[in-house]
Amino acid sequence: MIRTPLRPLPRILEAREKGENPDAIERENIRIRHEQMRDQSRLRAEGRLLVLGVFFLCAFVVVGARMSMLASSEPVEPRAAAPGSVISNARADIVDRHGRILATNLDTHALYAQPPHMVEPERAADGLVQIFPDLDRDRLLRDFTGKRKFLWVKKKISPEQMQAVHELGEPGLMFGPREMRLYPNGKLAAHILGGASFGKEGVGAAEVIGIAGVEKYFDDYLRDPANGNAPLELSIDLTVQAAAERVLYGGMRIMNAKGATSILMDVETGEVISAVSLPDFDPNDRPRPILTGDQGDSPLFNRFVQGVYELGSVYKIFAAAQAIDLGLVSPSTIFDTNEPLKVGGHRIGEFHNKRYGDLSVTDIIVKSSNRGTGRLALMIGPTRQKALMERLGLLHETPFEIVEAATGKPLYPTRWTDVSAVTISYGHGISTSPMHLAAAYSAIANGGRMVKPTVVKQSGPQEGTRVMSANAALQAQRMLRAVVTSGTASMAEVAGYQVAGKTGTADKPKPRGGYYEDKVIATFASMFPANDPQYVLIVTLDEPVETSGDKPRRTAGWTAVPVAAEMIRRVAPLLGLRPQADPLALNEVVLTSGQ
Amino acid sequence: MSYLEYTVKHVPSGARKILFLNWPLALLLASVAGIGFLMLYSVAGGTFSTWAEPQAKRFAVGFLLMILVAMVPIWFWRSMAGVAYGVSVLLLLAVEFFGSVGMGAQRWIDLGFMRLQPSELMKITLVMALAAYYDALPQKRTSRPLWVILPLILIFLPTALVLRQPDLGTAILLLTAGGGLMFVAGVHWAYFAAVVTAAVGLVTAVFQSRGTPWQLLKDYQYRRIDTFLDPSQDPLGAGYHITQSKIALGSGGWTGRGFMQGTQSRLNFLPEKHTDFIFTTLAEEFGFVGGFTLLALYALIILFCVTSALMNRDRFSNLLILGIALNFFLFFAVNMSMVMGLAPVVGVPLPLVSYGGSAMLVLMLAFGLVQSAHVHRPR
Repeated sequence: MIRTPLRPLPRILEAREKGENPDAIERENIRIRHEQMRDQSRLRAEGRLLVLGVFFLCAFVVVGARMSMLASSEPVEPRAAAPGSVISNARADIVDRHGRILATNLDTHALYAQPPHMVEPERAADGLVQIFPDLDRDRLLRDFTGKRKFLWVKKKISPEQMQAVHELGEPGLMFGPREMRLYPNGKLAAHILGGASFGKEGVGAAEVIGIAGVEKYFDDYLRDPANGNAPLELSIDLTVQAAAERVLYGGMRIMNAKGATSILMDVETGEVISAVSLPDFDPNDRPRPILTGDQGDSPLFNRFVQGVYELGSVYKIFAAAQAIDLGLVSPSTIFDTNEPLKVGGHRIGEFHNKRYGDLSVTDIIVKSSNRGTGRLALMIGPTRQKALMERLGLLHETPFEIVEAATGKPLYPTRWTDVSAVTISYGHGISTSPMHLAAAYSAIANGGRMVKPTVVKQSGPQEGTRVMSANAALQAQRMLRAVVTSGTASMAEVAGYQVAGKTGTADKPKPRGGYYEDKVIATFASMFPANDPQYVLIVTLDEPVETSGDKPRRTAGWTAVPVAAEMIRRVAPLLGLRPQADPLALNEVVLTSGQ
Repeated sequence: MSYLEYTVKHVPSGARKILFLNWPLALLLASVAGIGFLMLYSVAGGTFSTWAEPQAKRFAVGFLLMILVAMVPIWFWRSMAGVAYGVSVLLLLAVEFFGSVGMGAQRWIDLGFMRLQPSELMKITLVMALAAYYDALPQKRTSRPLWVILPLILIFLPTALVLRQPDLGTAILLLTAGGGLMFVAGVHWAYFAAVVTAAVGLVTAVFQSRGTPWQLLKDYQYRRIDTFLDPSQDPLGAGYHITQSKIALGSGGWTGRGFMQGTQSRLNFLPEKHTDFIFTTLAEEFGFVGGFTLLALYALIILFCVTSALMNRDRFSNLLILGIALNFFLFFAVNMSMVMGLAPVVGVPLPLVSYGGSAMLVLMLAFGLVQSAHVHRPR
């Protein structure tokens, strides 16, 4: 930088000549230089300020642009953080196979209070207690005058009660709409429907969620708005269900049983037409689960899928059918059932130590011979027997569409030995639910094809996998018919409807091992009409005692069979089955032609 | 060297000073505060006593304080700059040891009649100290390394203390304001380039340290950054503030829902609705028009400050005014960006509008300094 000298000689000399003080020149020059420097730094500062100004401007533009962007965006209603605003109270109806309502929704109101808005808390409390006598006045008053800003007074109120509360004229009392699940038929089909209760609750709405049965199994489906509120169609027939429940209830009382269950199933479609478990409950007012004692005694206990019992002789038909299917025997093959049978150190005996002598395979079923069935099982062998059980679905929980079905897991020995094969052949050492049995019998009734039990209405027959040949299934059906015509289930004869079936009476196991002498599970597994089975009916009574004779009788033939017969008598016409005329006895026919 | 000593006789004296205040600026401040009272009244659901009344009282006290500070010659304040800075740092240290804990951070000292937030005070005293420093420093030394390190220490000491509280928002504001002042003072470009590089490095380090034992930020700060990047991840949790305020801004539209019609005030959608997020109420009730008016008022305040600084030939006054303007600008720019989802939620109030004691008082104190510089400018 070239600087002008502070004391330029020519000017100094000139000043001296004029007699002036040359220092003034220096001062003047210093001032000029300072000013130049200042101007320079000012210029620089102004440059910096310009940059800062541009930065400010940019920031303003960005903020302003963003503001206008947000202002022009689609206005969205602000939503509360409370999940209340997104609560959906939609829930589809449930109907039976003919479209009759089984479960629907009812609009009610919930009553809540906002104490900060209350004008006369005392009067409000008095009025509320008059309308709802179960409320405690002192407690209400404490809540209304305390620090609470919100409280529920009543979750469900009727229109009359709502009007009465309205008339109190208290601005701090408010109503919220609330859908309530209603089961108009009360206890009918209670175990299938299950029940519903409130989920997330908000002032504007409350979620209705399924807590048991079909309601819980299909909860997502029922609440899915995408289904357009289309009702869920069940396979249940309301009329048949009602009749079955009445008959079973009466039968349970007459047979002094503590519980009973029945399943009526269409053998082609797998649809369960009715399923009853007694004692039952009202899904509109579900009882609380019992906390002590045996869960099996709770009315909530669903016997047809959760009641996993040893079902006894009803299993014998599987051994006979399989032996025929494998070509090991024919229905007329003779076995000597008096000959002792010893397997793995165990002696197999007959019921009440009866001696049946020589029996054909059909007679083994008709008389229900343990030794005979045991011999068949030994011929089949444990491996093949287990394979059939597997195919019949007896070793897994049923696919029945209620949540409780998943808890009905069969019990069977882990090591399937010869002894297991023999005991399992007559229904001991394996525990399944009645629903398992219904499905397995349907396979026999269906000509050897497996069907899955379902509670949802089907449009056509199931094409299940074949579990045995059609011939084996047919022979098994004939044997079952013989059980009714000349065996343990003679009481199952129903005029007009030929019934085939097998009885089973199993001693109930004691909780700590061993079996009770006087407590049985009596089962009658049946199908009708016998010449072309359409339906399978399972009736199981828990601890029945028939007392009309000199001695108490507990066998299925005396307990479950008459109940089942009565049920068929009642429901067969409802199912649209035409009664068949009994074939006329030959001796009454007068031959008019010939001789 | 400044001119002040030589030009004292031209400066108004006594009560006449009041006439020479920058009255347009004062009026602008009052109108912004007025918008604040309206909003606080609305947010409280139409009650004056909850927030609006204490806020109005505080503004009145602050306004008097401003005039009082303006009456005192600016050269007194310049000589006090070092002392003020020292006291603020000591107060920050005191917070570290005796501060009361609020909202998970130690930020306040309880003085009995009010809770003092030294980090607020620090923003102003840092600007004072830096302005005094550059006033005293000969121009040609401005960019020499040794003379750059000194102001850096002045900036980093309080920043570190504030970060420890922890108050990320204020720390960032301190850094930015300090750096901005150095920039205006004329420090060489190369330094800023270096700082920007370092900042990028630091940000990388912060993110790299995440999840490791030497994690530099608290989890909530990381979450805030995450939410900033994508608030929709967690609309009911961490991203709730931003989502709700965006909804509110959107529902306000161009002209708003009308005074007292905002859902924010009636229904408690937003926590902090009377403090950091009060802008959403304004935008919802008065729409774009309301929001833009406030922005324009802020812009005018900045404009008046910058003009006043340009008129002022005294270097200390010049730098002080610009520093305070920059601080004020950062306040509302960060707050508005935060509310509108342009910046992370860092907890910076909307100046003069958000409910809060020490922020308001300190801000009015700062504008008192601006006024003093304006009144006592060399003519």
